[in-house]
Amino acid sequence: MSGTFRFVAAAALLIASAAAHAQTATEIVAAADKVRNPQAPFRSTIRFTDYIQGREREHDTFVVFSKEDPATRQFRNLVQYAEPARDAGKRVLLDGRSLWFFDPASKVSVRISPQQRLIGQAAVGDVLTVNLVVDYDATLLGTEKLVDATRAERQCWHLDLKAANDRAVYNHIEYWVEQEKFNPVKEKLYSDSGRLLKIVYFRNFAQRLGALRPIEQIIIDAVDTSLATTATLSDDVFQDVPDAWFQRDYLPRLQIN
Amino acid sequence: MWKGAATCLVYGALWNTGALAQNTQPDQDKELDLIPQAVQQQSADSQPVAPKAINAGSRLYLENAFSVTSLRDQPAVPTPGPRPFNWQERLFLDVRKEWRLASSLIFTYSGRTNLRAEDDLSFPTHENLSNDLREMYVGWQPWDRTYLDLGRINLKSGVALGYNPTDFFRTRAVVEPLSADPTVLREDRLGTLMLRAQQLLEGGSFTAAFAPKLYEPSAIYTNINLPSLDPMLDRTNARNRFLAKGSLNMGDRFSPELLLYHEGSRTRMGANLAESFGQKSVAYLEWSGGRRASLIDDALRYGRDTGTLPLHAPSGIPESSHESFQNELAIGASYTTETRITFNLEYHLNQAGFTRADWRNWFAAGHAHPVASPVVGELWYLRDYALDQQDPTGKHSVFLRADWVDAFIPKLELTGFVNADTYDGSGLLQISADYYLSDHWTVGGLIATNFGPARSDFGSLAEAANFMFKVARYF
Repeated sequence: MSGTFRFVAAAALLIASAAAHAQTATEIVAAADKVRNPQAPFRSTIRFTDYIQGREREHDTFVVFSKEDPATRQFRNLVQYAEPARDAGKRVLLDGRSLWFFDPASKVSVRISPQQRLIGQAAVGDVLTVNLVVDYDATLLGTEKLVDATRAERQCWHLDLKAANDRAVYNHIEYWVEQEKFNPVKEKLYSDSGRLLKIVYFRNFAQRLGALRPIEQIIIDAVDTSLATTATLSDDVFQDVPDAWFQRDYLPRLQIN
Repeated sequence: MWKGAATCLVYGALWNTGALAQNTQPDQDKELDLIPQAVQQQSADSQPVAPKAINAGSRLYLENAFSVTSLRDQPAVPTPGPRPFNWQERLFLDVRKEWRLASSLIFTYSGRTNLRAEDDLSFPTHENLSNDLREMYVGWQPWDRTYLDLGRINLKSGVALGYNPTDFFRTRAVVEPLSADPTVLREDRLGTLMLRAQQLLEGGSFTAAFAPKLYEPSAIYTNINLPSLDPMLDRTNARNRFLAKGSLNMGDRFSPELLLYHEGSRTRMGANLAESFGQKSVAYLEWSGGRRASLIDDALRYGRDTGTLPLHAPSGIPESSHESFQNELAIGASYTTETRITFNLEYHLNQAGFTRADWRNWFAAGHAHPVASPVVGELWYLRDYALDQQDPTGKHSVFLRADWVDAFIPKLELTGFVNADTYDGSGLLQISADYYLSDHWTVGGLIATNFGPARSDFGSLAEAANFMFKVARYF
C-alpha cells in the first residue's frame, strides 16, 4: 500500500512539475510575442536584402497591415509587394487558413496553400506577424549561453516549439529567448520532414510601435547556405485595419498610400 | 524518501533533455559564420535606411522579345489563310499606373505599346506600331466599402489556372500573346468598356457590371491586320453584357463565389470554389452552365454574321441550330513541394467543344477538299474562332503545370505546362525560364511545341514549335 502510494505521489509530482514547466515555456513564448508584436492594429514596411555568396543581390519590400483577431488571438495579415519593380502591386491575404494571392497584372486572386507562403528567399511567411504562442506548443529544453548576431553572449531560454495547428507556418521551431528581457535572440525553422530550413537571428532592438522591439532579422538559408537575407522593419504606424479588408475581394482595392 | 526519488527523477529528466538540446559553442560559431561579412560589419547600433518612397503598385517595363516559329511541312489540313510568322521581333513598353485625382477618386491606366517586325509584314507600315489599351477607367468610392468604376476595365473571374469558364469577359480579348501560358494570356488582354459597382460586406462582397453594345460584331483579327492605335472596342463591346457575382466568407476555409451572366440572348450561371487541404494542397472547382449552341454552330453563325464566311453556303461539316444546356468546367488541385515546386493538375470540360465525331468530320472534310476550297477556309475558321473565344477546341482536356522557384540556382524560375486533348493525346508543351539578374533586369526564354499525330487536335496546327528569347528592364 505504502509502495503504491509512493509511486502515485511521485508520478503526480512528476506530472505537476512537467505541467508547471510547460506553462512556463508558454509564458516565455507569450512574453516574447509581446516584445515582437504590438497588440493594436498597425502598418509596417519590411525590406528584405538578399545576399548570395556574401554579395548583396536583390531587394524585396513589403507593406504589411496586421491586426490581432480577438477570437483566435492570432494576427491577420495583408501584404503588398512594393519592390522589386517587377512584383510591385502583388498582394497576399494571410488570415488563418484563408490564403489568397492577387496579381494586378492578371487581376485574379488565386488561393494558395500554406506551403506556398514559404516560396522564395523572401518568403511571405517570413513577413507574417505571428503570435507563436497561439500556433505552437512550447517546451522548455533548458537554459544556455548563446552568442547572438552581434557576437555578444546572452543568457537564454532554449525552447522547442511544435506546430499545434495547421495554421503554423513551420512544423517545428527551436527558439532562444533572452532571460529577464524576453527578447527573441535566435530561431531555427524546420519543415514537416524535419529538415532545417532557416536560421534566424534577431538584431537591432529599438523603439518601435510603443516598445523596445527587434527591427532587424538575419535569415540564413540552411538548405543553401550561400544564401542569406536581412529583413528590416521601418515606417511603423498604428492604424485601424477594418475587418472587411481581410477577404479575397478586398485585395484589388487595397491602397497603400 | 519518495520525495527525494521523485525530485531526482524530475531533475534527471530535465538535465537529460537540456543536454540533448545543448547548442554547443562550435555549432553556434559555425552558424554565425554563415552571416555574410557585409551584414556582420554593419554596426549593431546603426539602423539601416528604409526606402523613402514606396511603390504603390505601378509597374513600368521595357521588353524586347525575339521569336522564331517552326512550321509543319505537310499539315493534314493545309491552312489557306495567313500562316504564322517565321520570325518576329518585338519591342514594347508596358505601363500600369494609378493616379489619385481626389481622396476618393482614382484614375487607372494599363497598356502596352508595341514596335513589331515580322517576316510576313512589310516595313515600314502602320502594322509595325500598335497600342493595346488594356484598361483606362475612373474609380470612385462614394462611401466606405462601396466602389463605382467607369471605363475600360479588365473584369476577371475564376479560380482555375488553365481554363476559366467563369471568366466571361475573356472572349476576343487576347491580342498577339508572346506565350501560350494561361497566366500570361490573362495579363495582356483588353478590358471591356463598362460600369462596375462593388459593395464589400463584413463577410463577403457583391459586384454588378454592365457593358453596353457600342459596335457590331467584327471579323476575327489576324496578326497582319491589327489596327495601330484603335482601342478595338468592337472586340469587347459588340453586345450588351451584364454580370452579377457575389462571394460569401464562411469561416476561413470556405468562400464560394456565385455568378450570373447575360450576353445577347443567353444567360449563364457560374460558381467558383477553392479549399486548401493540409499544408501543401489546394483543390478548386470552376463551373459555368447555360443554354448555348455547339462551338461549331456558334462559329459558323459568327463567321456568316461578320461576313467572313459566305452567308448561304453549306457547311463542310454537319451543323445544327439546336441549343441546349452546356457545361464548362475546370476542376483541379495544386501541390507545393518543400523544394519550391508548385504543380497544378486540372481537367477541363467544354461541353460545346468538338466531339470525337466532329474531329473525324473535320479531318475528312479537310482531306476531301483542296486548300483553295472555301470549305477548308471554313474548317480553319472554326479553330480560329475557338482560339479567339479562349475556349478549348476539344471537349475534354487535361492540363498540368509546374512552376519551380529558385530552380537549381537562386533567382532562376522554370515553368512548364502541357495542355493535352484527351481524345487523341495531342497537346501543347511549353517550357520557359526566367532569370532575375537584378532588381531591374530579367532575361528569359521559352520553347513551345504542338505535339501529336498529324490528324489530331494539336498535331494538325500549322505551328510545330516556337522559340523565344527576351530581355526586360523594369523601372
